[in-house]
Amino acid sequence: MSSQAPVLELRGIDKSFGPVQVLHNVAFSAYAGEVTALVGDNGAGKSTLVKCIGGIHPYDSGEYYFEGNRVQVNSPRDAAALGVEIVYQDLALCDNLDIVQNMFLGRERKSGLVLDEATMEEMAAKTLAGLSVRTVKSLRQHVSSLSGGQRQTVAIAKAVLWNSKVVILDEPTAALGVAQTAQVLELVRQLADKGLAVVLISHNMNDVFAVSDRIAALYLGRMAAQVKASEVTHSQVVELITSGRSGELGLKNGAAT
Amino acid sequence: MRAGPSQEEIRRYNLGTLLRHVHLGGPTSRAELTSRMGLNRSTIMALTADLAAAGLVREELPRETGRAGRPSLVVRPESARIFVLAFDVGVDRLVAARVGLGGVILDRREAVRQRGPFDTGEVVATLAGFARQMLRKALPDTVCVGAAAAFCGGVRKADGMVRFSPNMGDGLHDAPFGEELARKLALGIPVAVGNDANLAALAEHTRGVGIGCRDLVYLHGDVGIGGGIISGGQLLAGRDGYFGEVGHMVVNPGGRVCGCGARGCLEAEVGERTLLEGAGGAFAGKVGREAVRAVVDAADRGDVVAQDALQRVGEWLGLGVANLVNIFNPEVVVFGGMLRDIYLGAAAQVRSRVNTVCLRANRENLRLRTSALGDDATLVGAAELAFSQVLTDPLEVLARVST
Repeated sequence: MSSQAPVLELRGIDKSFGPVQVLHNVAFSAYAGEVTALVGDNGAGKSTLVKCIGGIHPYDSGEYYFEGNRVQVNSPRDAAALGVEIVYQDLALCDNLDIVQNMFLGRERKSGLVLDEATMEEMAAKTLAGLSVRTVKSLRQHVSSLSGGQRQTVAIAKAVLWNSKVVILDEPTAALGVAQTAQVLELVRQLADKGLAVVLISHNMNDVFAVSDRIAALYLGRMAAQVKASEVTHSQVVELITSGRSGELGLKNGAAT
Repeated sequence: MRAGPSQEEIRRYNLGTLLRHVHLGGPTSRAELTSRMGLNRSTIMALTADLAAAGLVREELPRETGRAGRPSLVVRPESARIFVLAFDVGVDRLVAARVGLGGVILDRREAVRQRGPFDTGEVVATLAGFARQMLRKALPDTVCVGAAAAFCGGVRKADGMVRFSPNMGDGLHDAPFGEELARKLALGIPVAVGNDANLAALAEHTRGVGIGCRDLVYLHGDVGIGGGIISGGQLLAGRDGYFGEVGHMVVNPGGRVCGCGARGCLEAEVGERTLLEGAGGAFAGKVGREAVRAVVDAADRGDVVAQDALQRVGEWLGLGVANLVNIFNPEVVVFGGMLRDIYLGAAAQVRSRVNTVCLRANRENLRLRTSALGDDATLVGAAELAFSQVLTDPLEVLARVST
């Protein structure tokens, strides 16, 4: 566990869609080697915040720091160039392509005019082996033949392949059974133990407590609290999610402490 | 009084250390061994030459380095040639494996054990049968350098006598398990026996989630709860070897009756029977790891009775963990066996309990992790125990078993 400066830091982020303000003065940090859970009720602004981080939505005001430097992120390409990868809930995998093709989709390696299949396959194999993924039989399997957990694994491996520094996972276990959830959680933990900053969005308190080092709770577009997982209890986090405050923690008169 | 270790002792120690590096780290270049062991290059060359002559390691040119200069030779363990026999006696399963130097499982056999009275003769016969099958398949120039078993029970350090095991069934008192297995194997080598959770702790420390971590608490769930604790890089053993019976730490005085006879032991509150009894009618009478997974699955799907049982078990588990963290101040607590599933299914309860009960300073940098070796942790631990002799004095052991 690290106590150094955050890899990714947002300060005072505001975001409105027309007349509706979705994010109010949100601050958020993610640290290398740690899993930061982002929790909040439906409509609290989790997905919007993640899309701001990923450069899909421009934020109205606020500051975005990456490794201590202030940066401008105006498009997903900017975010990818910094080393921020997002695994969306729908995984964005193509069923009719195989695992290697999916992992390199849009960023294929070329040697001369043709695709460098051998290098891509080797890189994909190395990434999956580095994540101790043993459940996938062949890298040339079509994604349509994979189980939910395996798809999630491929999507996560795809995000890790690019020497990324921050990986954001949007509800990676939502559609999975217990056995596959356990595998994905262990994979999430492993990413952080390898030194990446991981942001985990989840509704499941067990998943949150099983793997995270910090918990950030959003309430109605405001950051209610960002606390260490060794400092809070289950019921406190539930209170933060449902009412924005819990004892000393949380929002007071609409302002984060 | 002696002035210091003799030349011969130093050489033996260095041979063992070098072999251990290759055994645990896999193929390693001579240059890397030189820097890791802090010896000079010609010493490393002489040591590897001795080990290679004995057939314990071999040297090869690396595949490609991409760097200028003559590449340093890579020292590889002779995994296919040098092996041990590792056994695992759990409540519901018996496993035997042939494990090569470097920790490669070359071959394995597994049988389901029926619950009921424990019959040493029967278990020994099954395991020895597996071992014979695997030895017949082994190539002629291979050498078995040791044998060890992980046993779900309290094992006396001095002679490998299994003293007690409340969960293995009636009739298990003072079973000379190691001795009988060695006699049945008739390989002329002793069979070392260790407590399964202790050995799994060792395995996670050397090959699993706790590599490079000097203070680790491992909790193993197999019907009951066992524990193994690495403190300052050493596995704690106690005077007679019964260390780490954390399952019999009383957390709820006057609570449920435990197999050991006391009330409110951790394993009485967290064990398999409690979880399955609490989870409602659908699970009554079921046993085993699959049944535990089914409860976690049911809880995940919204079965409120199963959820309630799992949460209660999680609360007690958290209390046990908090006590251990207060006492041992570990860097990481590892949940293995059925506790992996229970922890992942009730992490909110476990963590919350730890956060409320445990001293702040002790929990600040605490990591809670699941086993990286999974169901093989105990078997891998047994293999490490079997290798310990050859890693202490490689040439002597090899000379002894080869004759």
